Amino acid sequence: MRHHLKRSIAHWIILVALAATIFVGDDSLADERLNGFLKKAVDIAQPKTVKIFGASVGRVEGYGTGIIVSNDGHIITGNGVYLNGYSTRVTLNNGETYPVKVIRRDSNLQLALLKIDASTPDFFELGETPAAEKGDWVIAVSNAFKVAERAEPLSVTLGILSLETKMTAKRRGTEVIYEGPLYLIDCITSNPGAAGGAVVTADGELVGMIGKLIESKETNTRMNYAVPEKLLARFLAGKPSESTQASTSPKGNSKPADLGITLFSLGGRKSPAFVDRVRRGSAAKKAGIRSDDLIVTLAGQTISNSTDYKSVLATLIPGEKTVIVVKRRNSLERFDIVPDEKK
Amino acid sequence: MGHQRVFELIAERIEMMFELSQAGKNKSGVSVGSSLIRFRGPRQDRVAGFPVFKTIALGVLVLGVILSTSLTHLNAQEDQPDIGLSAGILLAPKAFRAATKKVLPCLVTIESFGGVGAVQGKIGGIRRQGEGSTTGIIVSKDGYVITSSFNFIQKPRVITLKTSDGSAYLAKPIANDNTRKLTLLKIQNESKTGEAKPLNLNVAKFMSEEEIRVGQWAVTVGIGFGDVNPAISIGIVSAKNRGFGRAIQTDANVSPANYGGPMIDVQGRIIGVCVPLNPKSSSLASGVEWYDSGIGFAIPLYDQSIIEKLKKGKDINKAYLGIQPKPAKLDGSGVKVVTVVKASPAEKAGLKKDDEIVKLGKYIVQDVNQFGTLVGRFDSDSKTKITYLRGGKPMTSELAFTVPPKVTPTRPNPGSPKLSPAKKEDKGKKAQPKKSNAENENGK
Repeated sequence: MRHHLKRSIAHWIILVALAATIFVGDDSLADERLNGFLKKAVDIAQPKTVKIFGASVGRVEGYGTGIIVSNDGHIITGNGVYLNGYSTRVTLNNGETYPVKVIRRDSNLQLALLKIDASTPDFFELGETPAAEKGDWVIAVSNAFKVAERAEPLSVTLGILSLETKMTAKRRGTEVIYEGPLYLIDCITSNPGAAGGAVVTADGELVGMIGKLIESKETNTRMNYAVPEKLLARFLAGKPSESTQASTSPKGNSKPADLGITLFSLGGRKSPAFVDRVRRGSAAKKAGIRSDDLIVTLAGQTISNSTDYKSVLATLIPGEKTVIVVKRRNSLERFDIVPDEKK
Repeated sequence: MGHQRVFELIAERIEMMFELSQAGKNKSGVSVGSSLIRFRGPRQDRVAGFPVFKTIALGVLVLGVILSTSLTHLNAQEDQPDIGLSAGILLAPKAFRAATKKVLPCLVTIESFGGVGAVQGKIGGIRRQGEGSTTGIIVSKDGYVITSSFNFIQKPRVITLKTSDGSAYLAKPIANDNTRKLTLLKIQNESKTGEAKPLNLNVAKFMSEEEIRVGQWAVTVGIGFGDVNPAISIGIVSAKNRGFGRAIQTDANVSPANYGGPMIDVQGRIIGVCVPLNPKSSSLASGVEWYDSGIGFAIPLYDQSIIEKLKKGKDINKAYLGIQPKPAKLDGSGVKVVTVVKASPAEKAGLKKDDEIVKLGKYIVQDVNQFGTLVGRFDSDSKTKITYLRGGKPMTSELAFTVPPKVTPTRPNPGSPKLSPAKKEDKGKKAQPKKSNAENENGK
């Protein structure tokens, strides 16, 4: 009986100890693992991201965010008039504030390179290899709405990389030439002061920099996006950006192309590209285009209206075969077409 | 992981250990039960102290095994034990990509040509619809595609579709569900002789109501950014039965980039069709203003009956009953009929002045406001039972809803899209049933 008692006491001691271990272990471990899974990334990104305060001009906010890209105080941010003032300053993660010198600007990518007289071990090393692919977690670190001041940490939001794409964009209603590739992200960064913030992976690696506020032409919505790291690297190295190269005419000094198509002019540049007349002996006639056809795509590009038609036509090279798709009655017809040289 | 589950694991482990020790033992006569805390087995032939020692040894062993097991089980992904629980979350992007890939064959890229070039005024805070392509979901092998009505707000004259294999078709709108902001398109595959060329499209599978849980991952997919690849956004299912029970709410981005596209779960099954929605307004573009607010909606299609209705070419609208209600009791509760509109569904159902409505379908009527919401749950072509008290005596009759009188339903092609901002039409909310107001919300 005594043995039995001893045994059961021993059992209970073990079990209680065991249960206690598991309770404690469960709570602390689960908490650390569940709730802190992005702590590392945030800890890495915060000291490498800075607050920028400049002059507010009219309705343009006088503040922004920037990323440190060298150990001797180079900072990249979104270009803006707020950097034009005499008293632009940068506040580091530790609260130290420095006056700023603007080194260089890129009006195409809307980037600005700044310099402060401070050295720091905390900076993003810019590389060419993409740190994230579509669907990966991304964390945006920025001072949107100037929520953080002095040594206060910046605001952190979570999202994923939605798409890497090229797009035409608008800024404040007017079309801009931003055609560079960019990373669309699904955390909301289209807010005042967020431009220049860091977008990092769950490991704290830089994906890109939050770009200036633009609206997509395709959807008419404000874009949440990052300028890819490799474009930042080229900007830092002083190389011309890819989109500048892309915007130069691809066909060099070749002659303009002609298809021999006259479109219906219904007044306005946004009217659909209905074929009015096809000139005899022209490229369109040879291909089989008729009047009343609606041009739907040309050379793989969607032709929404007569303006689209003109801009795509300007990129065609005489003698080089391409494809035109038209809507004729109830079907889509596809034709090969060889553009003539414009006389 | 809850403690309950940890204990289950412990029990499991201990059970296993004892079974093992049982198997290894034969003559010692130790018999231990398989429950966690109850050990059995009278032993007469033992040396004092030995069982205690043995028990402790066994306990230590058990402890080790349990700790290692529970830690392993704590890991969502066992192959990366060092990351721990977060591994599951960190690996989620793989699931997002796989799910998107799975749903792609059921999607189409929609292009619109012509129509109202520049819509005057703003559409839900956005100047006008973008110029990009939009997304649709294939719902039948023979070429029916469901998408958001918002994509045709500019009344395009020509609509083309492109499937994931690159084939392009012309399409025409068949009908609109104005309550859910959906438009059904049909691929025009008839040849010049009028014969239908057979299509064999990949049909999307929609999740059932029970399968969708609040809090589960949601991925929205859309082709609207002018790229062949869709853009994806993730979030969770925030709520079910929003917008008069017709929509699922999510915090994933739902915007003009993915209206008409699917909201899927991590297995690539479709939760719903992304649409702009504002439960307070029926205007076509209402809800667009929320595109980056963390509030988005997708319309589930638990059963295909909505699609079947739309296939017949008849638009679906909000139900119209045709009574003017007032509170039945002094405390504002209950619903009493003040007037019954002539030739309205209410009159046809036999409702009369001073009847007190107590039940509509399966729903119990509480007050006038709630009654309006109840009516809002029904479509214009639905039938239900209405129960009312007449002189204290309960009566039930069949009720067949209709559309409000003199309302021309909107269509992408004929008719004009409602482009007025949400504020304007909210005035019509408490409109009298006799006024035929196209924007009338309650249709009471």
